[in-house]
Amino acid sequence: MPDTIPDRSVLLDHVTIRFGTYTAVDNANLKINSGEFFSFLGPSGCGKTTMLRCISGFSEPTEGRVLIGGKDMAGVGPNKRPTALIFQHLALFPLMTVAENIAFPLEVRGVSKKERRKKADELLEMIALPGIGDKKPGELSGGQKQRVAIARALAVEPDILLLDEPLSALDLKLRQHMRTELRAIQKQVGVTFIYITHDQGEALTMSDRVAVMSRGVIEQVGEPDRIYNRPRSAFVASFVGENNALQGVIKGQSGETAALETPMGTFEARVGGGRKYKAGDEALLFVRPEQLIPGATENAFQATLARQEFEGATNHVFAKAGENELRISMVNAGLAGSLPGQGESLSLGFAPMNGTILPVGHMASET
Amino acid sequence: MKQLKLAYDALLAKHGMGAALFVAISVTLWVVVFITLPQLSMLDYSFRFNLPVDQLGTDADHYTLEQYRSFFFNNDGSVNRLDILILVRTLIAALIVTGIDVIICYPIAYILAHGAKGVAARLMVIGLIIPYWINEILRAFAFRVLFGSTGVVNTWGMQLGLWDAPVDFIRADVALYCGLAYAYILLMIFPIYNAVEALDHTQVEAARDMGAPLWRVHWRVVLPMAKPGIASGATMVFMLTAGALAAPQILGGPSSLWFTQVIYQWFNESSNWPRGSAYAVVLLVTCISFVLLMMRVFKVSVGEIGK
Amino acid sequence: MNRNTIFGGAYALAFFSFLFGPLIIMALTAFNSSRFPRVAPWECFTTNWFGELFGNARLMEGLMNSVIIGLGVVALAVPIGLAGALALSELPSKLRSTLYTVLILPILIPGVVLGISTIVLWGQISRGIGAGFLYNGYFLTIVGQITFVSAYAMLVFIARLQRFDATQTEAALDLGATPGQAFRKILLPFMAPAIGSAAFITLLASFENYNTTVFTVLSESTFTTALASKVRHGTDPSLSALAVIIITLTLIGALTNEAFQRRKEAEAGGRASRSPLYANPITRALTHPGVVFAILVAVIGGITYAGSQYDSSQCEAAILQEKLDRQEALRAEQRARIEAQEAEQGVTVPKPDSAFGGAFGGVGTSAPAAPAPKVENNSAFGGAFGGIAPPQTEE
Repeated sequence: MPDTIPDRSVLLDHVTIRFGTYTAVDNANLKINSGEFFSFLGPSGCGKTTMLRCISGFSEPTEGRVLIGGKDMAGVGPNKRPTALIFQHLALFPLMTVAENIAFPLEVRGVSKKERRKKADELLEMIALPGIGDKKPGELSGGQKQRVAIARALAVEPDILLLDEPLSALDLKLRQHMRTELRAIQKQVGVTFIYITHDQGEALTMSDRVAVMSRGVIEQVGEPDRIYNRPRSAFVASFVGENNALQGVIKGQSGETAALETPMGTFEARVGGGRKYKAGDEALLFVRPEQLIPGATENAFQATLARQEFEGATNHVFAKAGENELRISMVNAGLAGSLPGQGESLSLGFAPMNGTILPVGHMASET
Repeated sequence: MKQLKLAYDALLAKHGMGAALFVAISVTLWVVVFITLPQLSMLDYSFRFNLPVDQLGTDADHYTLEQYRSFFFNNDGSVNRLDILILVRTLIAALIVTGIDVIICYPIAYILAHGAKGVAARLMVIGLIIPYWINEILRAFAFRVLFGSTGVVNTWGMQLGLWDAPVDFIRADVALYCGLAYAYILLMIFPIYNAVEALDHTQVEAARDMGAPLWRVHWRVVLPMAKPGIASGATMVFMLTAGALAAPQILGGPSSLWFTQVIYQWFNESSNWPRGSAYAVVLLVTCISFVLLMMRVFKVSVGEIGK
Repeated sequence: MNRNTIFGGAYALAFFSFLFGPLIIMALTAFNSSRFPRVAPWECFTTNWFGELFGNARLMEGLMNSVIIGLGVVALAVPIGLAGALALSELPSKLRSTLYTVLILPILIPGVVLGISTIVLWGQISRGIGAGFLYNGYFLTIVGQITFVSAYAMLVFIARLQRFDATQTEAALDLGATPGQAFRKILLPFMAPAIGSAAFITLLASFENYNTTVFTVLSESTFTTALASKVRHGTDPSLSALAVIIITLTLIGALTNEAFQRRKEAEAGGRASRSPLYANPITRALTHPGVVFAILVAVIGGITYAGSQYDSSQCEAAILQEKLDRQEALRAEQRARIEAQEAEQGVTVPKPDSAFGGAFGGVGTSAPAAPAPKVENNSAFGGAFGGIAPPQTEE
């Protein structure tokens, strides 16, 4: 190991990517730190794959710069960048054996056959699949292929590993297992991971930080819990996790909280993103289903229970209040607990810190 | 031009300098030297006189319509019925052969796509291909053996008492039509098969279930689907039949020439290359315009049946 | 088994009879000693036509020329076809369909037109720059044929290229390969099977071609043009013998290929371990494509050897004697008739001095005028009798 830890950061300096008149990425500006597990999260078509291809060198930004390890990557081809990409469908070479696949980056660099084999065996050891070097990729299971693809990408000893939804082809159980494994491998090798996904579960569980993208714009960057608890835009609030949205008009703001007047009453809630509002501004109030408390009297409203969906540990209850249908998650208290019956009226409330007031903007379902 | 440059750049980025140059040079060579220049050269030749070598490039060597005139008119100014009739007869015969192929190939293509399963389907495909590995001259020869005055057809026909004296199938062009229809069966079956295979078989079953008789199912459900396949198969069969040379030479009766044989004679027997070139241009232009015309007619009818 | 299935089966049977009937009958004529290729009347079983085939110098010379030209065509048409397919894969859709039409056109243009245009162009070029060496049958035929044979190769490559996963190339680039390395190590190996089949198809197309070659080959001849001129100027069963050889080779190829495909499928589908055919080591070995091929070759070799040892001369002599007898009877009949006429008219009519020319020579419709030298033929008259038409001999 070298004494100084190499700079494995990525800086996106006002990057814009256009295809003709279509803007795929709009003014992305952020720094991914050395050794970080960083995710781009967004629905399909939000520009995250374009961003990834731009970092790996398959396309150049229309405006702005990409810096890797502090060096400008303009004009540097994908084969010259210190990045390795794991493709959505892995792109293992079907005609080569597993060992030849893993050693391919060394082969094109002119490393001798013996050394290539040694390195391939080391990497197979690392991904806990020793002895499969002479098999063809077609003979492996989905999870094994996954790990071989990672080993092949790591064989170039990249500074940055880019992963393009690599788990999407796996079944649920294996996907959850691979999350843990990916995180473990990342900790072990210390390489910066940039992970692309539309699955918020993957992004939130694995990442150090997440960037949420929509329509080519980075809506918010932050740690997973901040993304969930402190969304900064209507899109993030509605895309990450479940949320109830109520539209209303600002009555007044005092510091971190404001009062919003809605058809169901006036509520106190935290102002998202530290914004300032004037009285009369249109705004949205977001309250998470698990933070709506039945029987609360402060910051509360009356609703009628419309229907329920039972899902084991959690009960999803849908209540009607005026025009709105609100979603409430209740922990299953078992036989000791009791649930209101259908058509019953109940009072629902939330703590002001658990409500978020955000400016009106497009929501996840509208993308 | 700009798009060609872009495509070249994409090749360069993807496959490297060597591959990009290889593709650019090979395709240019193919399109320009092998496809375009020969045709232009032949066109140029067809507007010249048939001169001995020592007069080439002299004053006598200038452009003329003489070769085309001689296709349409005889020297005495009367219409050249002979050659025009041969061309028309060639086209009509090619049309008949194409029609025969459509009729005999459509059921097989349908059976192959939706009837036959497993081993039977495999055997059918092999059975279709094997005859086409055998030289086309030999295939024509087989029909000569079959239809000759002492051939199997005549022998059996007479033994069964169908006719008394040997029938001259060669002179009647029966052997030629059979041989040509046989020669291009494969080119008709596979396009139709490809088109029909895309049809979801449950559609046929649904139509049958609703009480449609088999012929109506084909007319309303299968045939519209097969139309593009039939069009492309018919185009190929028609062009190749009209341009056939070996089969007419081997199976053609002494009195009925194919237009390609006339061209052949101008070249190899009369050594009149400009005349031969002009006749070749006439054949090419006629065939292509005929196909284009038929395609247009066909498209219209496709639209009508599609409703 | 409903009515439609029966109808379909019957139609398929009729169709394949049409496809194979002529070939089978032609193949049978190769073993009949009759001078004209036919199955009825059956004279003697013979294998002499095979010997005659190999003794045909023009055909054998044409075979050599075809091999030379075929190799030249494969060497050029396969790379050109690959280049065409690669070019099409990168072009935007509108330009793509234009180029596709241009490249596919040579398949549709009548072969004679391609042949003529090729000799006209290269004739002008060689006159224009004084490069007479360009104007020879080999070069012109190769150039003329690749115009359309390349399109066949291209169709094979397009089909294969459609199944190529372009991210493979991207992955190779990303892993540090240069574009050239990615092309050589990823794309070309993927295309390898298609290169093989394209080479096979182009070789076959070059070998088979007549319409273009008959013009471009000038004074030389290829196998196919030699064959065609032989067929046009009178036929004999040695051509049927050739057909037998080609059909046999085709069947060996098809069966071996089928065994190969079956095995590959069984292995890929995981059936290999379950199928009883593959579980038993003996049957497993027997269904190996190499073994299938070897067995077929051995069987055919054995038959060929047995056939070459077979001597049909006795039977042929008997048939000849029979014919001579019948001829003698006819001659006697004729003589009697003439004598009767003489007696009636009292005029001397010259006797026909040749029974062959007078009584039978004109009867045959398409027999060769002069008998070709025949290997191991013990009768000098064999050729002349070939012209006898069945109605006479069946009396």
